[in-house]
Amino acid sequence: MAIRKRIAFSAAAMSVAVLALAACSSGAPSSNDTQTTGAPVEGAPDWCGPNQISLGLLDGFGGNSWRKITTAAGADEAAKCPSVTDYQYADGQGDTQKSIADIQGMVAKGVNALVVFPDAGEAMLPALRSAYQAGVVTVPYRVNPGGEDGVDYDAWIGADFTTDGENWGKWITTNFPDGAKILFVSGPKGNSQGEDELAGMKTVLTDPSYEFIGEQPFEPTNWDPALTQQVLTSAIAKNPQIDVIVSDFGPSLVGALPEFTKSGRSIPALVTSDGNVLGCFWTDNQAANPDFKMMTVATGNDNVRLAVQYAVAKATGGVLPDTTTFDAPVFEDSVSGTPNPVECEADLPGDIFLSAEMSPEDQAALLK
Amino acid sequence: MSVTERQHTGLKSSRFTVSRGLITVGVAVVALFIVSAIVAPSSISQGAILGMLPFFAVLTCVGLGQMLVVQQGGIDLSIPGAVSLAIVVVSRIPNGDNSLLLPAVLLATGIAALAGVLNGVLVGLLKLNAIIATLGTNALLFAVVLGISGGSPTTTTRALRDIAGGLSFGVPNSVFFAVAALIVVSLMVKKTVPGRRFEAVGANPIAARATGLRVRTHQAAAYVWAQLLYCLAGILLAGITAQPTAFQGNSYLIPAVAVVVLGGTSLLGGRGYPLATVVAALFLSQLDQFVLAAGVPFAVRSIIQAAALAVGVGLYTINWAGIRARLGHRRRAATAT
Repeated sequence: MAIRKRIAFSAAAMSVAVLALAACSSGAPSSNDTQTTGAPVEGAPDWCGPNQISLGLLDGFGGNSWRKITTAAGADEAAKCPSVTDYQYADGQGDTQKSIADIQGMVAKGVNALVVFPDAGEAMLPALRSAYQAGVVTVPYRVNPGGEDGVDYDAWIGADFTTDGENWGKWITTNFPDGAKILFVSGPKGNSQGEDELAGMKTVLTDPSYEFIGEQPFEPTNWDPALTQQVLTSAIAKNPQIDVIVSDFGPSLVGALPEFTKSGRSIPALVTSDGNVLGCFWTDNQAANPDFKMMTVATGNDNVRLAVQYAVAKATGGVLPDTTTFDAPVFEDSVSGTPNPVECEADLPGDIFLSAEMSPEDQAALLK
Repeated sequence: MSVTERQHTGLKSSRFTVSRGLITVGVAVVALFIVSAIVAPSSISQGAILGMLPFFAVLTCVGLGQMLVVQQGGIDLSIPGAVSLAIVVVSRIPNGDNSLLLPAVLLATGIAALAGVLNGVLVGLLKLNAIIATLGTNALLFAVVLGISGGSPTTTTRALRDIAGGLSFGVPNSVFFAVAALIVVSLMVKKTVPGRRFEAVGANPIAARATGLRVRTHQAAAYVWAQLLYCLAGILLAGITAQPTAFQGNSYLIPAVAVVVLGGTSLLGGRGYPLATVVAALFLSQLDQFVLAAGVPFAVRSIIQAAALAVGVGLYTINWAGIRARLGHRRRAATAT
């Protein structure tokens, strides 16, 4: 009995201690944190603490240029912190089971922090939770895996697509103060990104003079350039007036926009996300199309950087970033030229993203 | 292999025979354009037609390829891989450099021929099940797609964009390529000796073997011709979309079978109907444009396309005379009692 009591007591004491520690580490970022965990490493950003860790970056699907650039951005961010002594990468290749096995494998190998692109969404939640419960700092990013911060994983570093919608809406109100007919094209029917973007736009475009034309909430295109072209052709034929096209995947419009020219009309204003091919398309066509104004938000390759910062800060005892949401900044505006005029690197591949922190040349080298 | 009996219920003259498929699908196209004009006039505006024609051209090439295979009693499910691979080769290899476009086109053609030989050997010579063998080839082709592109083709070259996506005399250039493909296929199959043998083998392999024709060679060759046509479709599609994905061919598998069936070529093999297949491609392309213009919701669009396929299959494969006879018999039986 006595022995059992002693075990129970020590177990209770330990759990209290663990709770206290957990409370310490998951607290809101403050200057106290850095004092208790030691000064940040000299010459490194303040999110890089002194404790040495190994970091794993996991992709659900790594096989396109956007992902390649994003992955390289993640590695680049991790390399800024000397406390990250070991960095590993795994690509789920679009296979949910492999993605889960990748997480379990990294946990078994003893990594201290995981940054995960959970492509499969909620199907990844159990694997994330078990990694978190095994004491690994677990940070899913971009795609929402469901679950809660601090319960199923440390924090989800998501992209806020509503902000994109708001930025687009603001640009439309500035450039079309008297109202506009807006065609919004997004990906597969019912995708939450498109719905969030529309919700964001509608908070700004409250005046009834702003009219959304075509299928509601958006024209589905599956982000497929061929289908986009067909949808746009039909919309052009049907609507004598289209003032603004809104798209959450700008580069897929490059083949479709000339349909306006073929119909003898000017390409209208375009608000979308950036891509080198699109910037060059604007540069080549803006003279012949007087209504072709363009505004883009960053495509968000740097979302991963925030996730890496958060994971590394948590595991090494650095200063946590003050947000867990990645807001894609406005990138180009052909009218005001702020923050940037439309950019085109004609000598580099079309599928690089000039909005990314990584230099265009480095991106081009990645895609070779 | 079962051999279908064909009935000449179409129009006949001393020189021309118009197939039942061509009449059916021709009437359907005319009806569709009339309905389009009434219900959704914007779908037959000049802009809409010019936007539709390039995709019609691509579907024509894919459909003609599938027709050659189907008339030999086979089926080719490697279309998605074949079209995607052609796209990736002609956009990745030149990587924006116009001078490398021609070598890339030749390379794509070479790869297509190889893929066709592979299919031909597996199905025509080794007698593997066409569905299994071509699905396997499809997976193999996608492996090459990923190997070359890493999943992302780049923007196509400006030259290809101008050639495949441009207009001549107010008509999209891709249409000229499709018409050329139609003429070549029709002449080869209908007017040359090997072509007549090819069609004889499709119509009745047993009789063809008895007359000493190389049945297996012709059946295998169908897959090679088909791959070359898919390759042409892929090259056109690359130029038309300008910024294609690496999986652009995926959406052509069902329509390719649909146009063959709508054109009246039997899935059990037999005669092929190139012109009817092309008219069926026009029908499906305009149907796409029509449902888009009519503002039909996305979900219903897919249903309408599936229904068109079902009607096509039903029209030619169900023994309507038998059903009528049976119904009539039952009715007579019912009135008798």
